[in-house]
Amino acid sequence: MLKTEELQINIGPQHPSTHGVFRMIVTVDGETITDLKPVFGYLHRNHEQIAEQNTYLQNMPYTDRLDYFNSMANNQAYAMAIEKMVGIEVPERAEYLRVMMVELTRILNHAGALGFLINDMGMWQTQLAFGMREREKILDLFESASGARLMCNYFRFGGVVRDLPPDFIPRLKELLQAMPAFVDELERLLRENEILMQRAEGIGILPRDLALAYSVSGPVLRGSGIPYDVRKAEPYSVYDRFDFDVPVGTVGDVYDRFLVRIEEMRQSRRILEQVLEQLPDAQGGHINPKARQNVRPPVGDVYARIESPKGELGFYLVSDGSGKPYRYKVRAPSFINLTPLGDMCRGYKVADVVVILGSIDIVMGEVDR
Amino acid sequence: MTITIQRGEVVEVARGSQRRRAVPGMGLLDSLGVVWKHWRESFRQNRDFSDIHGTFTEQYPDERPNLPEAYRNMPILLFDDETGHEFCTSCFQCQRICPPQVIHMTQAKDTTTGKAVPSVAEFIIEYDACMSCGFCAEVCPFDAIKMDHHFELSTSDHASLTVHKQELNRPVSYYQSIAPTLWEEAKAGAYKKLQGNIKRRPDVIGIAPHLVDRIAARRAELAAAAAAAPPPPPTAPAAPPAAAPPAEARKLTPEEKAAKLAAIKAANTAKQSGATPAETPPAAAELSPAEAKAAKLAAIRAANTAKQAGTVPAAEVPPAPVDEKAAKLAAIRAANAAKQAGTAPAAEVPPAEPAPVDEKAAKLAAIRAANAAKKAAAEDNETERN
Ligand code: SF4
Ligand code: SF4
Repeated sequence: MLKTEELQINIGPQHPSTHGVFRMIVTVDGETITDLKPVFGYLHRNHEQIAEQNTYLQNMPYTDRLDYFNSMANNQAYAMAIEKMVGIEVPERAEYLRVMMVELTRILNHAGALGFLINDMGMWQTQLAFGMREREKILDLFESASGARLMCNYFRFGGVVRDLPPDFIPRLKELLQAMPAFVDELERLLRENEILMQRAEGIGILPRDLALAYSVSGPVLRGSGIPYDVRKAEPYSVYDRFDFDVPVGTVGDVYDRFLVRIEEMRQSRRILEQVLEQLPDAQGGHINPKARQNVRPPVGDVYARIESPKGELGFYLVSDGSGKPYRYKVRAPSFINLTPLGDMCRGYKVADVVVILGSIDIVMGEVDR
Repeated sequence: MTITIQRGEVVEVARGSQRRRAVPGMGLLDSLGVVWKHWRESFRQNRDFSDIHGTFTEQYPDERPNLPEAYRNMPILLFDDETGHEFCTSCFQCQRICPPQVIHMTQAKDTTTGKAVPSVAEFIIEYDACMSCGFCAEVCPFDAIKMDHHFELSTSDHASLTVHKQELNRPVSYYQSIAPTLWEEAKAGAYKKLQGNIKRRPDVIGIAPHLVDRIAARRAELAAAAAAAPPPPPTAPAAPPAAAPPAEARKLTPEEKAAKLAAIKAANTAKQSGATPAETPPAAAELSPAEAKAAKLAAIRAANTAKQAGTVPAAEVPPAPVDEKAAKLAAIRAANAAKQAGTAPAAEVPPAEPAPVDEKAAKLAAIRAANAAKKAAAEDNETERN
């Protein structure tokens, strides 16, 4: 074989396919990647340090800005951490509202993530536009409930800030009616599309043991065939009351991650239907009236985690008994899922890098914090 | 390896089927079908949530976005349409909770005593750093700060994004127009607290700055009119029928109610004492001829003002900040002015004094009316002398 000289090139930090400002130092031998080193930190905003200067409640809107696609999920993880620390009861109805919001978030995240993945493959914005169309409806719902489309800031300690407006449930029902058609269409468009299969099958394989070793989570881990879902493994909120399946892949390539996300949207819809069924009977208001927002947790630490659309999102908080966290740490799924990028890319072509990166589904706001 | 989980199962996702792959291009044709369908439907406006085709686009700026009530953009401060009183008491709650710390304020001070007054002297929000979290509106115990729906804030003038009280002030009617149900919930409590705070605000403190002059002028006018105005019965019906319905439709604030009550009581006392209220003010009988003349003059003037207030509301009332509301507002104000012209002697009673002591209060009101008339007369004399 002809041996060519290895070359080191930069992909990013300013690159349309890096989902933000993210730099990869790639060593290539011809077109083949021999090494890849991810470089983080271009979007560092001092999130954790700022959080240690703020009171506990003041951090709630800051968590929106972590993974700006899924502000509701971030809110839930943070609220859960405080509730665990202080011992705040959450009324049943509030729990249902929370689950509803987070499952809607999961649908919109996956609709967007798949769109971006296809975009990265060169299908331009076609699928992205279809996905964004559905996402728009969900954002409209978020806006009517919380007042904002992306930075929802909807959760409070002990519940959510206000109950649903009267037109929310009818619109949600309409949306759920449209969901199967949307997911089926997405599958028809892409699942057996020869171009997508060429670009995705057998690309960016993350074997099971490596996935475990890197402690990745979310659809990336499930794509590698490990049925780990925090909603099942450690049911929080009211997730133990719903029937839903955990989709897993078999190979662990880009294609599997893609399929897992499609299936998860279906499962989220299933959960939402059950929420709608059970919500009218749920007791308690949208917030625990006795819950103080101005909390002063006892000295100690706490870790609370949820299954965010991107993986296991956890908040680790240490309290020194004052009104501000002594230490505030985010276990960001995007960040941890991104670490095996080098191993996933080694041996593939340069053009595959953006596809593999797209299949991990990252948001730099969460990676760099 | 099988894994059992509660309420659900682990499903392996099916990769592309072999059968289909045997015929190359099938998947692509399928995809093209989907794209074709979307393309064909893209000429149709469709905002039906249960459909996934058609364009969802809002033709902004030709078409204004339909914002939900809860929508929050930037905070604004509210003041009452009629009295101009700001709801904010400078309790510093919002300043304390604001996560990026962009709210700054100074408390108002009584100019004579130097004591703090439940009102705000200056209120600044740095819009450029506000994260639109809505906490300020949430914590405010007085419903003084609310989230606006106005979002077209882009400007090339950075300094203008440090917004002062003057530009933050909005009348309640504006907030009501953007969030009717939210205001409906907050209204009663907000006004109740505001009444309490007005009592502790001397002079024009707490009145929206751009209204101070107008309100002060109006107060002086009312006082003058009230001084010699005949008791309520003749003036109250003077309000034209067109203006009356809104006045009635509007709920009376506690203060107004108290004023009305006192006026009625005063009138009753006057009636009991034998005087015919429609013709002469009860106290006027004791006045010297010159004073009586002046009082009469003042009465005529007051009647004119009342008439004017009823008939030419637009000319009389300062233009309200929200244009569309102006007409309606003016009508309400005119009606109030007419009413107040009759009841003002009682309204002059410092609200701190206990109104419920009926007889005493009524007597007091009567005496006050007389005194005011006397004073007005004296002033008139002075002007005549000049
Ligand atoms: S706006 Fe409300 S919270 Fe802020 S100082 Fe005024 S009254 Fe207090
Ligand atoms: S909306 Fe939030 S950031 Fe803006 S002024 Fe109010 S509290 Fe501060």
